[in-house]
Amino acid sequence: MNIEHFRLSVDNLKDRKLRSWLTMLGIFIGIAAVISLIGLGEGLRSAIVGQFGFLGTDVLSIQASGYDLAGPPGQGAPNPLSDDLAEKIESVRGIEAAFNRYIESGTMEFNDRLQIGFAGSIPEGENRKIFEEMLNLNVQKGRMLKDGENSRIVLGSDFTGDEIFGKPIKVGNRVIINDLKFEVVGILEKKGSFLFDSIILINEGALIEKFRDGDGSEVNIIAVKVENENEIKLVAESIEKLLRKERDVDKGEEDFEVSTPQQALDSLNSVLFGIQLFVTIIAVISLLVGGIGIMNTMYTSVVERTKEIGIMKSIGAKNSTIFSLFFIESGLLGMVGGTIGIIIGVTVAYGSAALGRIALGSELIQAEISLTLIIGALIFSFVIGTFFGVLPAIQASKLQPVESLRSVQ
Amino acid sequence: MKSDEITYALKNLMHRRLRSFLSVVSILIGITAIFALISFGLGIQNYVTELGEEAGTDKLYIQAKGIGVPGTDENFFFTRSDIEFVDKIKGVRKIVGMYVSTPEIKFDGEIEYRFLAGWNADMHEFINELFGGIGIDKGRHFKDGELDAVVLGYNYQFEDKIFKRKVRLGDKISIDGKEFEVVGFYEEVGNAQDDSNIYISDDAFEIMYPKKKDKFGYAMLQADAGVEPGGLAEKIEDKLRKRRGQEEGKEDFFVQTFEDALEIFGNIFTIINGVLVLIALVSLVVAAVNIMNTMYTAVIERTKEIGVMKSIGAKNTDILTVFMIESGFLGTVGGIVGIIFGYIISKIGEYAAAAGGYSFLKPVFPWYLTAGCILFAFVVGAGSGFLPALQASKLKPVDALRYE
Repeated sequence: MNIEHFRLSVDNLKDRKLRSWLTMLGIFIGIAAVISLIGLGEGLRSAIVGQFGFLGTDVLSIQASGYDLAGPPGQGAPNPLSDDLAEKIESVRGIEAAFNRYIESGTMEFNDRLQIGFAGSIPEGENRKIFEEMLNLNVQKGRMLKDGENSRIVLGSDFTGDEIFGKPIKVGNRVIINDLKFEVVGILEKKGSFLFDSIILINEGALIEKFRDGDGSEVNIIAVKVENENEIKLVAESIEKLLRKERDVDKGEEDFEVSTPQQALDSLNSVLFGIQLFVTIIAVISLLVGGIGIMNTMYTSVVERTKEIGIMKSIGAKNSTIFSLFFIESGLLGMVGGTIGIIIGVTVAYGSAALGRIALGSELIQAEISLTLIIGALIFSFVIGTFFGVLPAIQASKLQPVESLRSVQ
Repeated sequence: MKSDEITYALKNLMHRRLRSFLSVVSILIGITAIFALISFGLGIQNYVTELGEEAGTDKLYIQAKGIGVPGTDENFFFTRSDIEFVDKIKGVRKIVGMYVSTPEIKFDGEIEYRFLAGWNADMHEFINELFGGIGIDKGRHFKDGELDAVVLGYNYQFEDKIFKRKVRLGDKISIDGKEFEVVGFYEEVGNAQDDSNIYISDDAFEIMYPKKKDKFGYAMLQADAGVEPGGLAEKIEDKLRKRRGQEEGKEDFFVQTFEDALEIFGNIFTIINGVLVLIALVSLVVAAVNIMNTMYTAVIERTKEIGVMKSIGAKNTDILTVFMIESGFLGTVGGIVGIIFGYIISKIGEYAAAAGGYSFLKPVFPWYLTAGCILFAFVVGAGSGFLPALQASKLKPVDALRYE
């Protein structure tokens, strides 16, 4: 394969301009569809996963097992976690801190509107600082809560917009949660995650006293910060062992779950990936059809150029030379089609993401096209071109010189 | 269109067998995908319509809002007196409250967490009507006041679906530590969630969960004959709101007709299906380009032939017809073969979905889907052949004859 072959192939393609263009049109529609769908899917996936990615890699959470998706986390579990476990867990080696978290669902009213959501507790005493550091909580306005503040709350940054209650909530405003009045003392910095930005934080003592009639024995989640994130698996196992003993259950019959944020992220990721894969497969069908178009064009061109092939062979062209001529042609069709397809695909992906953001007002709609995807698509389009070009090229290379010279068009 | 034009077109296609074959393949791939996707989409619409018809238009439900699966949030509920209040509203024939919980279920040493509902025996008939005549598959319903009888969803009867061992009538299972005897199994609803629910009497529920006594997550109700259900829903919402001291837009519950709920469910599926069909359509666009390409090539190859035909009296329309028949035929064959493949794929998908517990995902193949796909394939074929055919028909006889 040398430059000469390459030039000959390009010339041949140019000779049949219309056909080459139509063939490439097939490929670039396919590539554009695949690129834009994968790009949008990736963007959406990383935006969604990003919503959950705020937790550090050195944090574990423990929850009593129960029916998935029933109420707030940990609610309605048949055998809830008791409030004395956190202290016991704290004594496990490798743990910096462990504390109870209470989560309560309810209604919140402001500006004559009502919303349903949940409020989470913030530990008091020395754990408060660890908790705030662990989640990297900082206020953009006002201040964080202090111990013993019973009717004050801190809100996430989403409440400063007017989407939730029709007008922004400011520090000093009063809101009604489950029919009780609270004063907003601080607004958190924006984190770019709905879990965080729509958070309502109440002091642990206040939450138990006001919403649980002073009974804090049932804990929703125990949050654990480990000393060394590399030992997180080991620590999780020690916690499981301790909890099996405390709750008197056998191995394999645990009625609780110890999970790392990474695990939760991984399972979410795999679901989203599955959906994306399915959509991509349907889009790839069009590339396949484009490939068949290349094959068709190449077969036609072999038939048309039978005489030419005969002449080339009779003046000494080897089988491999003829093969590479046709092979380069089909590869080029794929590559050039792929390149144009990538340009269109990238434009479509970013354009529709921008339109989608305006139309739906959701920051989740993002396009993300990595260099790997572009290079991958380029290689893939070349592979498609050559793959579907192989059979015609073999046919061309095997033509008998005498027979081909004799052939009439 | 004369028959010899058709024979001529077919002969030409046969002559370029390989090329025709590839064009057919490219169109059939797209038709396969579209046929399979739409057959599932229509199947779901059918399922929704059937459910709606069997449930009748007179059913409504009230549901507490909250976080997670509706009705499971313990902080949102209706009290018994709320239910009695609604019962007295004019236009309400009857109402039944439903307890819900998510307990730990133990059988043969295995633990699962499933959805538990507790209701009055009045509800049996209601549920039967609501879920399209779904009744007891084996055994019997629990009776009012029966404290240790449980009816299980369809899936419990099979190995490895919920528990490793299959549950039989008369077996004991433990719900949050209390033993119940299995007295019946429900018929298949068709989705893995509902088919793994369990049901006990409201009396048994109240004894097991005294804290939840008189706190209902759902209530189902039936309108009086002749009462317009949409209007009734608004009326109930209005009255219940006032009773609970809530202002408009501040309700912590909602009332909906069963029909509306089904429609929303159906619409979501239709939208998802529509997006997938659109993506699959891209491949048909590519196939159209392929056919166009094949036809342009055919026109060039047969330039001389066209010249000969014209010089012995063929009209422009004759030439146009011949080429349109050729490309239309490519499309139609692709369509027919595509439908066959699509049917096979849908059937495989159906069995896969049923095995996964989603037997409501059942494709249907109405005649208009088949006819539509073939027609569509023909239109794509003929349409993409139009430009090349037009070019062919406009060739000047003299130039065409001179063409080398």
